[in-house]
Amino acid sequence: MAKAKGYSDENLSVRLADRYYRTEDASPDFLKNVEKIGMTIAHMCYQCGTCTGSCPSAPRSSYRIRKFVRRAVLGLENDALTDPDLWLCTTCYSCTDRCPRDIAPTDIIMAMRNLAFKREIVPRNFLNTVQFIYKTGHGVPNNDVNRAARVRLGLEAEPETTAKYAEFIPGIQKILDHYGLKDKADEILAEGQ
Amino acid sequence: MSGKTHQYAFFLGCIAPNRYPGIESAAIKTSRNLGIELLPLKGASCCPAPGAFGSIDLKVWYAMAARNLVLAEQMNTDIALICNGCYKSIWEVNHKLKHHDELRDDVNEVLKEIDMEFKGTINVRHLAEIYYDEKICGVAKLADSITTPLKGVKIAVHYGCHLLKPRKEREFEAEGVGDTENPMWMEELVAALGAEPVQYRNKMQCCGAGGGVRGYDIAHALDITNEKLINMSEVGADAITEVCPFCQLQFDRGQIEIGEKFGVEWAIPVLHYNELLGLAQGMSPQDLALDLHGISCEPFLNKLR
Ligand code: SF4
Ligand code: SF4
Repeated sequence: MAKAKGYSDENLSVRLADRYYRTEDASPDFLKNVEKIGMTIAHMCYQCGTCTGSCPSAPRSSYRIRKFVRRAVLGLENDALTDPDLWLCTTCYSCTDRCPRDIAPTDIIMAMRNLAFKREIVPRNFLNTVQFIYKTGHGVPNNDVNRAARVRLGLEAEPETTAKYAEFIPGIQKILDHYGLKDKADEILAEGQ
Repeated sequence: MSGKTHQYAFFLGCIAPNRYPGIESAAIKTSRNLGIELLPLKGASCCPAPGAFGSIDLKVWYAMAARNLVLAEQMNTDIALICNGCYKSIWEVNHKLKHHDELRDDVNEVLKEIDMEFKGTINVRHLAEIYYDEKICGVAKLADSITTPLKGVKIAVHYGCHLLKPRKEREFEAEGVGDTENPMWMEELVAALGAEPVQYRNKMQCCGAGGGVRGYDIAHALDITNEKLINMSEVGADAITEVCPFCQLQFDRGQIEIGEKFGVEWAIPVLHYNELLGLAQGMSPQDLALDLHGISCEPFLNKLR
């Protein structure tokens, strides 16, 4: 949306009007927050599309990483955070590896996901991992079939991790509680979607 | 060849010890044959999973990874690990906290609650990259350790993503490891075992599992995996090797899931590099618990005999 300049010559005012793309619902802080959380320079993007061209998720979905970078630059927070495609990035870092502007598009996605989580927009599988780690220290905990196999191999049934040394688990819980992560995960899961 | 033993704190992660324990066992035994001692890192947790945790709150990811790092700092020992996902968390958080004071202060504020402090005194390495490092092991020494060469098999290497990418942020002690477009060092590691590494289309593509996509949209993740399987089968791969138990899970269990979901049948055995190395150093399939793999390794083992 063009911004009025108020020049006295109406013709010049129209001809020289600011053609930056702005929309009413743009959030000016969005870019700042994304860049801070992601520790990257989204505003340097010149939309070459190298990122989308490198992306394994693009050919099989409507997910376009370049579009998310543009949304960051334009402050289109709602569009970005409510788009289900946000969660289709495999974080393969091919885009980051190749971006000619040394932007980390992957970390833009990570930052947007962090911001989405603050609004309680998050797929359930992410929260399940939090609950496993809170309980056992492992995202993928041990099980009986595996314990038996470990013993056959001459290993101990429990690995030398929190699985064997449960006294370390309260420390992990303290870290997670410091950020209120477990409570928030429980709460969102209880609400259902 | 120096007789010196190199010691590392062995960071296990989750999927190797809890789903493919043969990888853990093989890593310890095969490394010992190469003069590398892997010591228990007591009380370590999930790295935590960079996709699942980083996506929710990067600050928690930093703090949780830092706790694991401090355990190794307390041993005064560098970390060695066997998983690309763990590498992303443990190497990268170590690197970030060493270089960003503000981040480190934030993390130490939290760690104080559990009487810990991140000091930045150790380094983190992937075992595969240690093997390739001439200063510690190197391809020739690796080849010398082989007792039963893996003759007559073609092996497709899957490098995975998080060990090497993004190249701009990585720093490797081993020379010749950094390339992300067409690296060949893992092929050298495979050739040292007597096997034939094969080149295939789009070698550096992701397995599809990362970033929480496996849990969020399994069909999407498997479709990426399936593309890799097509490309690997085109060149007649008898097996796939990787250095990431999560990629292993995606290729191994994934082939079964692809059968169920898409009606496409695959049967390409998937072995972590340490499992291959174990076979080549004379470990039996039982020593490696290959029976826990979703896709049978028998056709591959038969071809070796
Ligand atoms: S590759 Fe970089 S500069 Fe090009 S569109 Fe993507 S983020 Fe922008
Ligand atoms: S990191 Fe994400 S956005 Fe970038 S290429 Fe990989 S899947 Fe696509």
